[in-house]
Amino acid sequence: MPEFKDISPPELIKDRGSLHPINHMKDSIMEMLTSFGFEIIDGPEIETEEFNFDMLNIKKSHPARQMHDTFYVENKLNLLRTHTSPVQIRCMLEKKPPLAFISGGKVYRKDDDATHLPMFHQVEGIYVDENISFAQLKDLIYKIIYSLFGEDVELRFRPSYFPFTEPSAEVDILSKEGKWLEILGCGLVNPVVLENCNIDSNRFSGLAFGLGVERIAMLKHGVTDIREFYKSNLDFLSQFK
Amino acid sequence: MKIAYRHLVQHIEESPSIEHISNKLFQLGHEHEIDGDIFDMEFTPNRGDCLSINGLLRDLAVFYTVDLNQEVFTEKLNELQLDFENLSKNTCPKISFLKLEIDQVPEMYKNSLDNYFTDLGLNKNNFFTDVSNYLSYETGQPTHCYDGDKMGGKLLFHEIEKSEEFETLLDKKIALTGKNPVFSLNDIVINLAGVVGGKSTSCSTNTKTVIVECAFFQPEAIIGKSVKYDIQSEASHKFERGVDPDCHERVLRRFIKLVDDHADIKEISIISYDSKYNPIHQLPVNVQKINQIIGINITENEYLNYLSKLRFNIEEGFIKVPSFRSDVKTQNDLAEEVARVIGYNNIPTSEINIPQNEKPNYKDVENKLRFFLLDHGFYEVINSPFVSLSVDEAIKVDNPLDSNREYLRTNITNSLVENLLFNERRQKDSIKLFEISDVYSSSNGINKKRKLSIIASGRVGENYKDFSKKINKKYLVMLFKKILPNEVFDFKIVSRELLDTKIKNEIVTLEANINSFSSDILSYNEISQSPESFTQYSPISDFPSSFKDISYSIKDYSKTQELENLLLNYQCDIIKDVYIFDYFKNVKQKEIKIGFRFTFQSKKATLNSAEMELVYNDIVDKSLSISGISIPGI
Repeated sequence: MPEFKDISPPELIKDRGSLHPINHMKDSIMEMLTSFGFEIIDGPEIETEEFNFDMLNIKKSHPARQMHDTFYVENKLNLLRTHTSPVQIRCMLEKKPPLAFISGGKVYRKDDDATHLPMFHQVEGIYVDENISFAQLKDLIYKIIYSLFGEDVELRFRPSYFPFTEPSAEVDILSKEGKWLEILGCGLVNPVVLENCNIDSNRFSGLAFGLGVERIAMLKHGVTDIREFYKSNLDFLSQFK
Repeated sequence: MKIAYRHLVQHIEESPSIEHISNKLFQLGHEHEIDGDIFDMEFTPNRGDCLSINGLLRDLAVFYTVDLNQEVFTEKLNELQLDFENLSKNTCPKISFLKLEIDQVPEMYKNSLDNYFTDLGLNKNNFFTDVSNYLSYETGQPTHCYDGDKMGGKLLFHEIEKSEEFETLLDKKIALTGKNPVFSLNDIVINLAGVVGGKSTSCSTNTKTVIVECAFFQPEAIIGKSVKYDIQSEASHKFERGVDPDCHERVLRRFIKLVDDHADIKEISIISYDSKYNPIHQLPVNVQKINQIIGINITENEYLNYLSKLRFNIEEGFIKVPSFRSDVKTQNDLAEEVARVIGYNNIPTSEINIPQNEKPNYKDVENKLRFFLLDHGFYEVINSPFVSLSVDEAIKVDNPLDSNREYLRTNITNSLVENLLFNERRQKDSIKLFEISDVYSSSNGINKKRKLSIIASGRVGENYKDFSKKINKKYLVMLFKKILPNEVFDFKIVSRELLDTKIKNEIVTLEANINSFSSDILSYNEISQSPESFTQYSPISDFPSSFKDISYSIKDYSKTQELENLLLNYQCDIIKDVYIFDYFKNVKQKEIKIGFRFTFQSKKATLNSAEMELVYNDIVDKSLSISGISIPGI
């Protein structure tokens, strides 16, 4: 038997906290994208219609601009941004191409059910340079998806529609259960948007993409109800150390 | 929109299978589900032209030999004498009316009309409305049928901005407010244009004379109306997305043909009002630009062949966009057409190299704070900014989800207090949370502040050193002094008097602007790290938890480790957590006292004492089987 004085106390297990899984997911995506060459930019969550819609070629008649889809504040003077794209618009107005930006953060839409929340998180990126093509966009998307889900994952591109990109695509991955799951939206920046930002669309073209952070976090962690992320339940949060 | 497979395939020479068409539709970007023989289509909002059999066939024509020439009435038509005036030609630049009188209302439907109702399981209404609904399905152009016998007087199309009650043909009374495009008959609204017709002039099963209105409305004038007045309207769905302004004559001649197939027509007359609206865009042929946009290398012949199949006309070096494709305006739009035909998945990738620039991490201080807090047991939370309570500077949401979410929060602490109470109700006795967020207020414009807020209450920690220590203001002050010795922070104690709780532990909070933390924190060496992998979440239980403590006396202290290994790794589906809450080395007695806390919780039901007792007894039996160990009192 060892000497009594030599007996050490049990290991002192200090309880460490944890990052919120959505912030952790967002940070991981941003870190991956900065390694590809993107620069992080930030902007306000309260925006004007001009930056949130007009500059992005979202017409006055677009359904997203209706009161039932967008939160307006201060007697419709401003709104809660519905995507992080206005951050990129502000930066495109300030800087000249080539430019490669990503922005991540909270966005707001007037939804509230088991699969949609009025507040959620996006990471969006834009790269503007000479001769950017859809084929290069595909290469970037493959890199992003492979980084997130591994190189064994099967993915597909589907034509889609966003006013700020043309051509536009949505990208799905094939789940283990054989179901296609939508992961991100992307496209070539609509020349109208470039011109709105005083960028010569005859010389420059751009690519853009956007990911819903909650969607990716749910897939990566196996969370099935989006509302779990925002209950601040320690039993939930303590699982993500 | 539901479209029957057989309604499509009867126009396709190759007779492809439903799966084959489904694959092609996906390639073209037309999402859908298949229910039996029915495609349940979901079109992107820019492709209003596809909201019909013919629209979909026009797109499928790039892959198949498609026949779109449904029979139309070809004879010469008399001009309709109608007392009509269009006072808003910008909103409705093109409109036509057709008047038809039949001798007898048919009792049975034939051919396409019958198939439409049978295959899609739709309810019939009245003959003319049924023809109109089918025609909208076939051509994409909504038409509205007025009972000809109820249409005496002056008909007006105009936009009104006065409040007026209007009873729809679905017997719903709506109060029109704001600006609305309407048709009025003798100054009474009879139709909310592009959305729903009125009851006073609607057709019935006895109607033998009909006036059919076929119009092009600017989408901007229609959008939002069906939601505003809570009306399910397929017509407005189509008008909002844009219909073909140049289809009126063909659609109305098709209408006549369908009626002619079912009844003897006594009278036909038609009139069109055209405000010289020209929807045709043209773009120069530039295959190099298309190749550059997509990153491919196709020939001009291939390119133009694709577009021809999609019904674009090529004339003298220009591509004329068909009138039904209001979405195509630029070379990028044409590139998308080509990419869809080739298939996005068939376009090869081309390596991208984004130049690497210097990237300052402007959130260094914020990240250091996060990891410092993690090291001391704080959990990061994210709360919604919407609150019910207003303070002077709070920003009001014009269209909140409900009255409990009418304002944007001006502080984070109140959210954290809610989080703390939530966790206390779940029997948590050591709660440490923080949130970093932008907070907005309004005084002389919008003010944005990036803030850190923390809250702590209960035990300092769940280990044998911190178990009996309670969090208080002093504890938090000392914590921050460690990293920022020269800075003073305004820690506050939250009174529990107004909170819905019986727990007495002190609640300490801090809310500070991120920029009030100096860069001194950058020298802090964090222990915690971002997780490298993504933990698989295990669903949490909503059933109550309870705990049991077991204190041991160990004389044969060489067995301490064995006991720890046994208890800390004890597996049972109703034990949620176990930790050492007490440890005492009695030098005089050469004895070790060690206490373990077991938290019990089931994922299936509320536990009863017998269930816990069973596990407790097993733990006791197994631990007492180690020699030299005893449980005082047992």
